[in-house]
Amino acid sequence: MSDLQIKDAVKSYGNVDVLHNINLDIESGEFVVLVGPSGCGKSTLLRMISGLEDISGGEMFIDGELVNDVDAAKRGIAMVFQSYALFPHMTVAENMGFSLKLAKAHKSEINEKVRRAAEILQLEKLLERKPSQLSGGQKQRVAIGRAIVRNPKVFLFDEPLSNLDAELRIEMRAELIQLHKQLKTTMIYVTHDQVEAMTLADKMVVLEGGQVQQVGKPLELYDDPSNMFVAGFVGTPRMNFLPAEVVDVSNTTSTLRFAAENGAPEVVLPMTDGKLAIGSKVSVGIRPDHLHFSPAQSGDLAIPIDVAFVEELGDLTYVYVDTKAGTRLSSQKKDGRHNHGTTGYAVADTTSMFIFDADGHRVRA
Amino acid sequence: MTDAIASPSALASNRRKIKVPSLWTVLKWIAAISVAVVALFPLWWMFSVVFAEAGVPVAVNPRLYPTSFTDGFAKIWEVFEETGYLRAYYVSIMYTILTIAGVLLISSMAAFEFALFDFPGKNALFAVVMLSLMVPLAVTLIPTYLLVAQLGWVNTMQGLVVPGLASAFGLFMMTQFMQSIPKETLEAGRLEGANHFQLYWYIALPLSKNALITLAILTFMKTWGNFIWPLVVSNTREVYTVSQVINQFNSPFSHTTVDVVMTANFLAAIPPILFFVFFQRWIIEGVQMSGSKG
Repeated sequence: MSDLQIKDAVKSYGNVDVLHNINLDIESGEFVVLVGPSGCGKSTLLRMISGLEDISGGEMFIDGELVNDVDAAKRGIAMVFQSYALFPHMTVAENMGFSLKLAKAHKSEINEKVRRAAEILQLEKLLERKPSQLSGGQKQRVAIGRAIVRNPKVFLFDEPLSNLDAELRIEMRAELIQLHKQLKTTMIYVTHDQVEAMTLADKMVVLEGGQVQQVGKPLELYDDPSNMFVAGFVGTPRMNFLPAEVVDVSNTTSTLRFAAENGAPEVVLPMTDGKLAIGSKVSVGIRPDHLHFSPAQSGDLAIPIDVAFVEELGDLTYVYVDTKAGTRLSSQKKDGRHNHGTTGYAVADTTSMFIFDADGHRVRA
Repeated sequence: MTDAIASPSALASNRRKIKVPSLWTVLKWIAAISVAVVALFPLWWMFSVVFAEAGVPVAVNPRLYPTSFTDGFAKIWEVFEETGYLRAYYVSIMYTILTIAGVLLISSMAAFEFALFDFPGKNALFAVVMLSLMVPLAVTLIPTYLLVAQLGWVNTMQGLVVPGLASAFGLFMMTQFMQSIPKETLEAGRLEGANHFQLYWYIALPLSKNALITLAILTFMKTWGNFIWPLVVSNTREVYTVSQVINQFNSPFSHTTVDVVMTANFLAAIPPILFFVFFQRWIIEGVQMSGSKG
């Protein structure tokens, strides 16, 4: 169990900065998920933690010790790669015991540690097989086993489930949660899949453009996103955004007018004075589960729409609608069936709206 | 519902379907057999000449089969006794083994760096090595000899072996192969605590096994039959290779008969033939892999 601090970490390749001023505090035993779209720098950050990439600037501490110049092998870190990166010429047991062999551990000690890790991961029967004789899920387990054997301070996972099929992914996700409970080791996990992130993380770090956008518990990020990127990234289907303009401001409310062509009326929001200025452009975010399809006008906001298409999943129904201006919105219904025709209103309450300023920052009431 | 049991007439028609080979297949077989005959006949002729009574091979009606095994073994004994052939065998085998070992070691170590790591001047250096592939032997022969002579290595095993160790072709082949080793595999090794040499020894080398076997085979074929370099660098009987001993038989003033010359050739051909028999599969794979016969 170890904690990890990253202070103002920067990574650049030549003149190109790929990570800017990353600050992160990871407590001992935490399961932290770094999440973001492709190219946001999450894997680079993970590789910097592992020591496979140099840190161009800033500092990194593991258990209070500065590790900027500590070799990858000596950081006490184990990593599970997306491609598993097993050694194809070694058996499962040899793969798992490789680090101990290099450390010149006694054979009986190697066997014992490999056996214990294999037991945790139910790999006992596969120990003599070569990686080519294993399925994707088994390879993944071996890669995790190889990490467990080293008894590392920190586990790093680089999109470890992305090569597995959907069913196995869900299964492995549950196993990872179980494993974390069992080992209680600090784990840092990279994924671009926000569902994976939400289900696994104690703490979720959303990255975009080489910057940390927000850090928090998964539901904190969902319920209280601090900017438009996080609001859009966390949650499926993504949050709907409607452009609007502030037309009136009072002590306790602000009045927004949606772009005229959307055909929506003005909406009065509870808002502390001074947060919004008359004339400023904002975006209004509404999650699909707070935007409902209604055949008749109702609620605080009712936007006339045409139904574009419907996805009926049984327990849930997603109704995708187009406003008169052509903006595609998604709404979610819990009762599972859509039988309300093709035109109507997308309705929402002001209490479930998120307001973002022109720069994408959240404006809280 | 269709009839589950085939009717007798259907069975009969199945039996009649024994494939009649097409004309094209027949032609292909004829061509293949012809090539095989052309390739094997000289070997058979060599064998027949060696194991023949004196005079038979040069008779007006030569026999195409062995006529006397006793005479054959007598000739082999004669060659062994009078030419130091056993010594030449030893020199050739050592020359070949040491060259193969050295080429494998040096090529794989250099390829490991070229294929999997970056260092300043890497591309330029690699280009220089590849350019050396285009320089004919005739150009490098004398400078190499002068260098070896200055080192005092003329008529020594190291003089025979060392100049052949740096193989541009070997480096090229191993580099191409090692480039296919995923970087993540090495990174995983690094995180497991492997140092640079251990990455090479425990990961890159075992993963390149096929390429190493191929390179070993190609190096064997090239070294065993090598004539020019041993001719230049070994001038005493102690360091004569098999090919040099055979050359003595071919000299214009030698008085040996054709069957004795053939015996010497026959003895020289045995190791590569055995080698081919044992390593057939890898040789074919290797030639396919490298696109080269060495």
